[in-house]
Amino acid sequence: MEGHNYGYNIPISEKTKKVPLEEKRRIIEEVKSDFRFKEYLFGCLNCGVCTASCPSNRFFDYSPREIVQRFLEDDVEVLYDMMHEYIWACSQCFTCWIRCPFVNNPGGLVIIMREVAVRNAFEATKDLLKPYGRVLLKVMSTGNQLSADMLQPDFFPDWGPKMQDNMENLRAKRMAIPFDVGKAVKTAWEVSLETAIEMYQIWEETGIFDMLERLDPNLHMVIMDIVDENKDRWEELMEEEEEQ
Amino acid sequence: MGILRYADPPPFPIQNKHSHYDHIFEKMEELEAKGEILIFRITDEYKPVEVYTRTGRIKKIPTNKLWHHKSCGQCGNIPGYPASVFWFMNKFGLDYLNEPHQTSCTAWNYHGSGTSNPVALAAVYLRNMHQAWKTGYYPLIHCGTSFGSYKETRELLIMDDELRKAVKPILKKLGRLTEDGRIVIPEEVVHYSEWVHAMRFKIKELYEKEGKAEGIDVSNVRVAIHNACHTYKMIADDYPYDPEVYNGQRPAASTAVIKALGAQVVDYSTWYDCCGFGFRHILTEREFTRSFAIYRKLKVISEEVKADVIITHDTGCTTTMEKNQWIGKAHGLYYPIAVMSDVMFAALACGAHPFKVVQLYWNCSNYEPLLEKMGITNWKELKKEWEETVEYISKLEKEGKYDELLEFFKEYDLYEPYSRTSDGFKRRRSATADMPLFKS
Repeated sequence: MEGHNYGYNIPISEKTKKVPLEEKRRIIEEVKSDFRFKEYLFGCLNCGVCTASCPSNRFFDYSPREIVQRFLEDDVEVLYDMMHEYIWACSQCFTCWIRCPFVNNPGGLVIIMREVAVRNAFEATKDLLKPYGRVLLKVMSTGNQLSADMLQPDFFPDWGPKMQDNMENLRAKRMAIPFDVGKAVKTAWEVSLETAIEMYQIWEETGIFDMLERLDPNLHMVIMDIVDENKDRWEELMEEEEEQ
Repeated sequence: MGILRYADPPPFPIQNKHSHYDHIFEKMEELEAKGEILIFRITDEYKPVEVYTRTGRIKKIPTNKLWHHKSCGQCGNIPGYPASVFWFMNKFGLDYLNEPHQTSCTAWNYHGSGTSNPVALAAVYLRNMHQAWKTGYYPLIHCGTSFGSYKETRELLIMDDELRKAVKPILKKLGRLTEDGRIVIPEEVVHYSEWVHAMRFKIKELYEKEGKAEGIDVSNVRVAIHNACHTYKMIADDYPYDPEVYNGQRPAASTAVIKALGAQVVDYSTWYDCCGFGFRHILTEREFTRSFAIYRKLKVISEEVKADVIITHDTGCTTTMEKNQWIGKAHGLYYPIAVMSDVMFAALACGAHPFKVVQLYWNCSNYEPLLEKMGITNWKELKKEWEETVEYISKLEKEGKYDELLEFFKEYDLYEPYSRTSDGFKRRRSATADMPLFKS
């Protein structure tokens, strides 16, 4: 069959085949040069305990052992191909990590690969993460990843009729929580303005905003509008306080 | 005395004694001596309780004067989860700080989408920790993913000077170093489930005194434990193990408190499996999440041990297993079973209001038979009381009667809003409250 003749039985995609070998090597070297790489890969007995206990392996064509083996073989072609869709099957539970006799961390390798795929704006990554935009918007602009209003029953009809009841009169229900842990509706808690400003600075300094721009320019634009607005409000507030 | 100690003799057949991970505690002290970091130590004012980790290391769990590092998933979608933690702290008369100067850890986003990097994660972690240190309150991490991510980030920070060098200038710009230019790193990363574990005998006392007095009895309740992957599989050597829980061969937190309460812990074959949450999967690969939750957890637990409740200690697991039950009806795979966290179950056992405090109205699982079995037979009246309260609040707000609302909350709320906050805190604008997109 086409593709690798054992283990990774998915044919190498046409897209991958068209990419020059040097580019594929550059991407894989970017993964391997991450400072965590040496902490995540030590050797491999090929015992398969990682794959045997992997939740994603039960439902997807995905094997953490394959990832470890391909890195040890420096199989650039397959590794590059995996970075489009294969790695996104991982559940990030790290069962592979706790069970590996070598203390390899295949889930950790996957997160480096994902990060490199996002940083290099792989097309497949853009598609895969489209439904994830609401979370990105929330976390980048507010400092909270989740909020009460995100679980709209329209999005989750499979969660049943109780879910419908939950969302009725949501604002009053949130106010009726007798602790200040969730009185807000559109954020998990009200993050103070100065805290959000600090977080924006972290995103800027660490290249996260740039990464996001390459991944989804429209989403980036919306987020930057919010960031700019909040920065203006912060400056106004500082001026007001100085005047006082 | 150093911060790395082991029990002698070992409390149970231990794994990986003197493991690579435990060495970070020696390294932390070296870095502190060199003036690179400041260890935010767990001193007596935090009333520490000692527990064992998987390697037999003695870990100090602070139980008082805690800075709540809240979980966005819990506050947003399982509000009874943190509310139960706060309820217990009020009951025990403990000091704590709940302030708005905290962001999420952002690790759910990272594990789900890859749109971050270790320097950003480290900066977010250290900013939050510096804020806690500034207040003098010790950080208690509510979310399992925050806990796992912070444990790993701390290890990377300690073992890798490249990461420290990258993050330090950012913290300097934020004003998040000590006056003499050091990075603040807490002595221990502490999860709320470790706090519950450390407090289990006090919780038992409260159950005996107040829960039982209300006719609550958990002795016949069959409990299946689901440990969260990010608490015990990420940096596996830093989570409580105890001789009384499977002879130290499985994580102790959650199981130990359920045992202390006298409920029946029942074992099942897929205890080590994850829940199916998968970070991005629960939103974008939903067939996987629900299939895994049903086939590998709900079905197994129902058929093998007929548990009354699945006890969790993390945000994603609770949501995944309580929300993905009803859909099973479509394929004849409906396994109705209550799902909630250890602290929610413990609060119910100790007499907390199932709706006002434990907020079970959010819960899509079949919790009603569990309440009956626990002896909370008046749950229908309590639910009605809750619904009437919500209606009342809604009516006052719609009519614009804000003064009456404020009066109502003075009696109703179980906390003092922002009364104990850092640096003479005055309520400034929120990042979100006034914005059209996020107006609450």
